[in-house]
Amino acid sequence: MFEPIHSLALTHYLITGAILFVLGLIGFVTRRNLIIMFLCTEMMFQGVSISLVAFSRYHLNMTGQTFVIFVLTIAAAEAALALGLVVLLFRRKHTLDSEAWSSMSG
Amino acid sequence: MNQTLIKLSELGPEMAMLVGACLCLVVGLHRSAEIRKLAPSLVAMALIVAGLLTALEVVDASGVWTMATFVKMMVCGIGMLLVMFMSTVPDAVSPTGKFNPSRVMRGEFFAFFLFSLTGVMLCGGANDLVWLFLALELTSLPTYVMIVISRDTDEASESGIKYFFLGAVAAAVFLYGFTMIYGATGMTNFDEIRQAIAVTGVTPLLTLGLVLSIVGIGFKIAAFPMHFYAADVYQGAMTPVTAFLAFVPKTAGFVSLIALLSLVTQGNIVIDPVTQQLTSPLPPMIASLLWVMAALTMTLGNVLGLMQTNVKRILAYSSISHSGYMLVGLLGMSAGIGSTAIGNGAAAVLFYLVAYALGNLAAFAVLSCLQRNGEEATELDALSGLAKRHPGLAAIMLLSCLSLVGLPPMVGFIGKVYLFGSAVQQGFAGLVIVAVVNSAISAVYYLRIVSSCYFGEKSERSQIVLSSPYVIPLASIAVGVAILLGMGFGGNSLAVTANQATTDSTLFEQVDVQLIEQLLRTPAIADPAIH
Repeated sequence: MFEPIHSLALTHYLITGAILFVLGLIGFVTRRNLIIMFLCTEMMFQGVSISLVAFSRYHLNMTGQTFVIFVLTIAAAEAALALGLVVLLFRRKHTLDSEAWSSMSG
Repeated sequence: MNQTLIKLSELGPEMAMLVGACLCLVVGLHRSAEIRKLAPSLVAMALIVAGLLTALEVVDASGVWTMATFVKMMVCGIGMLLVMFMSTVPDAVSPTGKFNPSRVMRGEFFAFFLFSLTGVMLCGGANDLVWLFLALELTSLPTYVMIVISRDTDEASESGIKYFFLGAVAAAVFLYGFTMIYGATGMTNFDEIRQAIAVTGVTPLLTLGLVLSIVGIGFKIAAFPMHFYAADVYQGAMTPVTAFLAFVPKTAGFVSLIALLSLVTQGNIVIDPVTQQLTSPLPPMIASLLWVMAALTMTLGNVLGLMQTNVKRILAYSSISHSGYMLVGLLGMSAGIGSTAIGNGAAAVLFYLVAYALGNLAAFAVLSCLQRNGEEATELDALSGLAKRHPGLAAIMLLSCLSLVGLPPMVGFIGKVYLFGSAVQQGFAGLVIVAVVNSAISAVYYLRIVSSCYFGEKSERSQIVLSSPYVIPLASIAVGVAILLGMGFGGNSLAVTANQATTDSTLFEQVDVQLIEQLLRTPAIADPAIH
């Protein structure tokens, strides 16, 4: 009746990745601190990376893992950019609250 | 090894652009302002060299255009107009002698400009998911910086951070989509993906991957679920940067969408039960997603555009609605089997991107000539009476608005005929009716801009600053080209080129030929079990 979980299947990794992705998305929508919002987007990227590695193992080729290296590079570039922007914004208004940056709308 | 060399040999234009960008970075650090001002000329030179290299590639291929060369040439052409626009206008903003980062950081600014354009070129030639992802990121990362350093105001920082955060989320979403496409097929190379799809058919995982990719890339083109940022970002950025944002990420997005959708259309070849012709339609689920996205994008863009009083916001919403029209064209893409330019949706989208860029660029060029108290004047009443104060500018605004509405002599009209025509051929007449009604709605706000120029009271609310000798020729060139293309011959040959670019490149060669023959031998049944 119950299958033993001694071997992790593809699904488990995919679900882990999906959970990370969704948690990141939820955090991005609900949090108001700029740095935490950025960390949430990073978490989404990590969720994707886990899925990529899982698929790579499933298909028995290295393409997915290569892809992950590139994703990490892009994530690092985005991190550098994000921290630069956040510092710039903090100097202007001395707050990290994203609500402070909503002057334009309509 | 050989493949890598072949691929590298096709990247000449991109390399020229990157060298130009690095030179700009170095020049931008020079202590003499005279030398720092060389950066725009370097950009122009890089673009010319890239254009020539692209032309050489086309000659090498005995005059056959591919999507890659078409996109490269388009980017070089429009990029040239943009750099003329950008290099001259920043001097006009903030003449108060205040510290002005757009002048001090010129080197970086123009280097980022070139990096971003290189990203678009790479999108055009992408034949791998990894490549496409990197190209899309190379397009968008520099734009975040460009927005923030273009103006020393709170608005610019605000729009920069909004654009950055939403861009990062969108990147994660389409990357997740790419992951699922990889998961479904086990490949990242487009040719191999096509072969895999020809064997397995369109699986649910693949469909999910495509849906996520389309939604994520929808951010780049400002389409429905990801459209809301556009107005804020366009308003906050400096006008030349806004013109850049209206063209560059959108082009990258649509080119990537064409590449991604051609994976399924070319892998998924069936026989049309009615006409007995070989067709390769989009999977129904993807088609309905695009249908809904197109209808909502153009309707929302146009309805919200009606309520704006800021010209930049109006143009932002108009750019959203133009994305909607181009999504209609995507629905009309059938991998262009034996079709003419009018039946090929992908070609129509490429053509319309040029048409839209020209009209938009001219409108933004006029807008950037207007100032109030040393800041950009972008409210509708700043334009009022423009015809009496400066007939030339008003005429340019009139022509560009007419082209954006899509009135017959203009290139915008020809573009819409191609877009909607290809969608009708694919049986999306209902959506085309929605699109035509939307074009009529859009006329209201474009004509509001025009009527403000021509019939508004002559106000002193804004002063006209013609900071440079280039802006006027630039805008007139853009509109002149727009009219010329609209007149027929030019437009037609461009469309034929676009058609060739999207059909001759990869079609069918990679698809399992035996499968097609098998399908042809069993005509009337069109057995769904094969897929």
